[in-house]
Amino acid sequence: MNLYSEIIMDYAKLKKYKKKMNDADTVKEGANLSCGDEIKLYVKVRDGKIESLSFEGKGCIVSQASANLMIERVLGESLENIHEILENVEKMVKGEEYDKNLLKNVSIMENIRSYPNRVKCFMLAWRTLENALKELNMD
Amino acid sequence: MNSKILYKDFPILDRKVHGKKLIYLDNAATTLKPKVVVESLKDLYYFHYSNVHRGIHTLATEATNLLEDARRKIANFLNASPEEIIFTSGSTLSLNTIAHSLVKSGILKEDSKVLLTTVEHHANFVPWQRLSKIYNYKLLYAKPTGRMGAILIEDFEKFIKEEPNVVAVTGASNVTGQRLSIRRIREMFEKSILVVDGAQLVPHTKINVKELDLDFLVFSGHKMLGPTGIGVLYGKKELLEKMEPFLYGGEMIDKVTLEDTTFNILPYKFEAGTPNLAGAVGLAKAAEYLENIGMDEVENHIKELTDYAINELMKLDFVELYGPLDETQYGIISFNLDGVHPHDVAHFLDESFGIAIRTGHHCAQPLMMELSSKSRLDFPNATCRASFYVYNTKEDVDALVEGLKNVKRWLGR
Repeated sequence: MNLYSEIIMDYAKLKKYKKKMNDADTVKEGANLSCGDEIKLYVKVRDGKIESLSFEGKGCIVSQASANLMIERVLGESLENIHEILENVEKMVKGEEYDKNLLKNVSIMENIRSYPNRVKCFMLAWRTLENALKELNMD
Repeated sequence: MNSKILYKDFPILDRKVHGKKLIYLDNAATTLKPKVVVESLKDLYYFHYSNVHRGIHTLATEATNLLEDARRKIANFLNASPEEIIFTSGSTLSLNTIAHSLVKSGILKEDSKVLLTTVEHHANFVPWQRLSKIYNYKLLYAKPTGRMGAILIEDFEKFIKEEPNVVAVTGASNVTGQRLSIRRIREMFEKSILVVDGAQLVPHTKINVKELDLDFLVFSGHKMLGPTGIGVLYGKKELLEKMEPFLYGGEMIDKVTLEDTTFNILPYKFEAGTPNLAGAVGLAKAAEYLENIGMDEVENHIKELTDYAINELMKLDFVELYGPLDETQYGIISFNLDGVHPHDVAHFLDESFGIAIRTGHHCAQPLMMELSSKSRLDFPNATCRASFYVYNTKEDVDALVEGLKNVKRWLGR
């Protein structure tokens, strides 16, 4: 049951990043229609870097832990770095070789690759971030 | 019924999941297949296979006879005549065929009214809703005012004066397991065309379409031990004869000229293209298997398990149960655990106990909204669903209850 290890459970319960942000540059909603999971991601960017990031929503342990791990990892990163991180997250869930040092703590969920049905739970926050950044780039 | 004896007919029940014996409680999604059904497919493909109709050679004749035998068996199963039995790919195509044919035939038109419920599976909801956008008929919705998504007979009564042209309702909800009283609905809407989505009803009980005076009944083979990709559309002959086909193509035609086309007789008029011969043969074998057990036996067994499970689950104070929880609930139990998301519940049950349940919105998003408004939990827009069939036992229910206690202990927040 290493998908439900103590550390992942702790990340799922983390309250630090779970809040509304009133001065966000963009707010992006994401949903997994098949399971009802929803996320609302608040993003603030300064000088090409993520200055703050928070989320609201409900979902399973996998989706909640993934959102918290994601925020912890990408805060303060440049948008360019985040693209590289996103690429490596994709590789990680697909079971391909990826840069573990780059993903840092995110790799505690590496085992998600053994559960294809749960990958979409894991990816919800990441896809929403990707969409939010696309929107910011377009502005 | 002795489910332990039936066990030997279902080889898949012997397999292990994560090292545990499989406990399969996902029967509302699809049922497992007995050996006789799989062998009927094998026998067909190995020894009698050909395309049906119009063939002169021996195999074509044998294949055609097998298809028409299957049709007669299904007709007997429902007390219909063979020409009223249309083979489709499943309930979804059956319902789409009915809705599209009714509008194409002008039977359902601008200012007509269609009465649905908000507990329908999307398959009996989206076709009517989308076609209403093009053909401008009016949709009426009976909403459940009973316990946690349960529909009361009063919820229908208020629409009698509307005189809907079509009443399209589920025979049994795939989320709450509630059986609607089709008999009462028929009496209330005597003049309406009555469409019954029997996907969760036909596998559980003997249906007599004549006695219930149904205009249309649809169901899927794979939810009653048959193969996937085969289903049935029963329609009253007088109605089917008046209706324009939904799909056009081979076999459904009579005479084709450059100017126009006339159609084949029933039921072929509604079966364009090469039919799913193997599916039909397998479905007929599944129906025979169920009749050998006895549909009353099947029904009693499933009801007994459902009542037992409701009773046991009610003892768990961290479980919220949906549906009526009364004599109308058959075969399906939807629930949530306080503080644990359904996906985590299902994952944990599978990995630690080999128990298969389904989670999600069960293709019934309008009903999820209804449950959300009544839930005392932080409702996750999804539920866990355990559903039973002939091979399930009380031991399976006990395993589920034990499993849920463990889930709560490990994952409960």
